[in-house]
Amino acid sequence: MVAADYFLAGLVAILAGLDRVALVQIMISRPLVAGPLTGWLLGNPLTGLEVGMLLELLWLGRLPVGAAIPPDDTQVAVGATVLTLTVGPLLGLKGMPFIILAVLVAIPLGKFGQVFDRLARHANDRLAISGADALHTGHTGQLERCHLLGLVSFAMASLTTYFVIVLVGSFILYNVAPLLIGAVREAGLSLQYSLVLVGAASLLGTINVNRSISLFCAAFSGTLLVLWLR
Amino acid sequence: MQEPRLPASSLLRIYLRSFLLQASWNFEKLQNLGFLYMMLPGLRSLYGEDIPTEVLRRQGLYFNTHPYFAPLIAGTVLHLEARKLVGEDVTVDSETYKNMVMAPFAAMGDALFWGGVRPLAALVGLLVASQGSLWAPVVFLILFNLPHLLFRGGGLILGYMQELRAIETIQKCRLPDLAIRLKESSTVLIGVLCAYLSFKGCEHQSLSAVWGFVLLPVVLLFAWLAHKGVTSLLLVLLTTFSLLFMALLF
Repeated sequence: MVAADYFLAGLVAILAGLDRVALVQIMISRPLVAGPLTGWLLGNPLTGLEVGMLLELLWLGRLPVGAAIPPDDTQVAVGATVLTLTVGPLLGLKGMPFIILAVLVAIPLGKFGQVFDRLARHANDRLAISGADALHTGHTGQLERCHLLGLVSFAMASLTTYFVIVLVGSFILYNVAPLLIGAVREAGLSLQYSLVLVGAASLLGTINVNRSISLFCAAFSGTLLVLWLR
Repeated sequence: MQEPRLPASSLLRIYLRSFLLQASWNFEKLQNLGFLYMMLPGLRSLYGEDIPTEVLRRQGLYFNTHPYFAPLIAGTVLHLEARKLVGEDVTVDSETYKNMVMAPFAAMGDALFWGGVRPLAALVGLLVASQGSLWAPVVFLILFNLPHLLFRGGGLILGYMQELRAIETIQKCRLPDLAIRLKESSTVLIGVLCAYLSFKGCEHQSLSAVWGFVLLPVVLLFAWLAHKGVTSLLLVLLTTFSLLFMALLF
C-alpha cells in the first residue's frame, strides 16, 4: 500500500463524511456504502463490504436529530477497511479474523468522530455571526461564502477522525493482532455474526413500534423453520 | 396585481441548493444560513439583485427542520413572499408559517426517513450483502434515494404550487402512519436476518437448525438492554470479551 492509497481513502473519508450532515445526504456515508467504496478504490471491494456489513446496524438506530451526534460509523468503516488492507499485509494476516480485529479496534475510535463533529459545529457558530452581519448589510455574496465555508469545518472533522482511526488503529493492531488473532480465529464465525446481531438487537431495541417483539419473534421463528425444513 | 411567478430555473437552483442546507450547521441558529442560502435564487427572482435587508433578516432567523422537508417549506415561503410583494393580504406571513411547521415537519421527517426508510433499505442491503454480492450498496442507495429525491423535488413544487394548502396535502398522505408501517417491515426483516445468521451458524458448526432458536432470547435480551440505554459500544465489548474468553478457555 502506497501513500496514494491513503490519499484516496482520505478523499472517501472527506466525501462520505460530508454526506453525513453537511452535503447532499444520499447516504454514501453509511458503512455499507463507504466500506465497499474505500475497498474498491484500494483494489479490494469485498473486504470493504465485509467491514460495512459488520458495522451497518450498530448505530443505525441513533438518529442524527437536531444537536444529537452519533458516533462516526462512516470513518470507522473507511478506517477499518484501510487498516485491514494496510496492517494485514505487513503482519502477514488476512481473511475474516483480521477484518473482525480491525473493526473491533476501529469501533471505539469512532467516539473521536463525535468530538470532532461537535468542534466543527462550534466552529460554524462564528460563521453564523459573520452571516448575521452580512444579513444586516444586505451582502448576499458574503452570506453565501459564510455558508459554504461551513463545509471546510465538517471536512476537517472527517479527515481528522480518519487520521486518528488509521494512526491509532495501526499502532494498536500492530501490537495486539499477533497476540489476539489466534483467539479471534477460534471464536471465528460466532464473533463475526455477533457484531451483526448486536447491531440488529440495538436497532430492534430503539425502533419504537408497539408490536416489535411479536413481529420480530414471528419473523425469526418462521424464517428459521422454513430454512430448517426446506 | 398578479403576483410574480418564479421561473423553472430558479426552482431548479433552489432544489440543487437544498442539498447544501446543512453545510454551515451550527449550535447558534442551526440551519438558518442554509435555509437562506437555499432561498436566495428565488428571492433574487422576486426582488432582483438588491433584496431588501428586511426580507433577508426575516428569512435568516433561527431555522431547524428535517433536511428533506426544507424544500417544501421553501416553496411555500417563496409563494407567500411573492404575494406579499404585490401587496396581497396574507392570512399567515412567511415567518409565522416557518415557526409553525418546522418542528412538526422535523418530527415527521425523522420518523419517516431516519426511522423508517433508512433502516428498511439498510436491512434489504444487508440481506443482499450476506450473499456476498457487491450489488448490496447499490440496492441500498436506490431504495433509499428514490423516495428521498422524489420527496425533495415534489415537496418544493407542492409547497410552491399549493402554498398553505400543502400542509393539508401532507396531512392526507398520513406520513406518520407510513413511518410506522416501514418500521414494522424493518422489524420483520431484522427477524429474517437474525434467523438467517443463526441458521448459517448452526450449519457451520454442523448442528441442527433447531439450536438456532437459542439465539432468539439472546437477541431479545440485547434489544431490551439497548432499549434501557445500554450503548452499542458496550454491547459489542461485552459480547467480544465473552466470546474471546470462551475461545481461549475451550
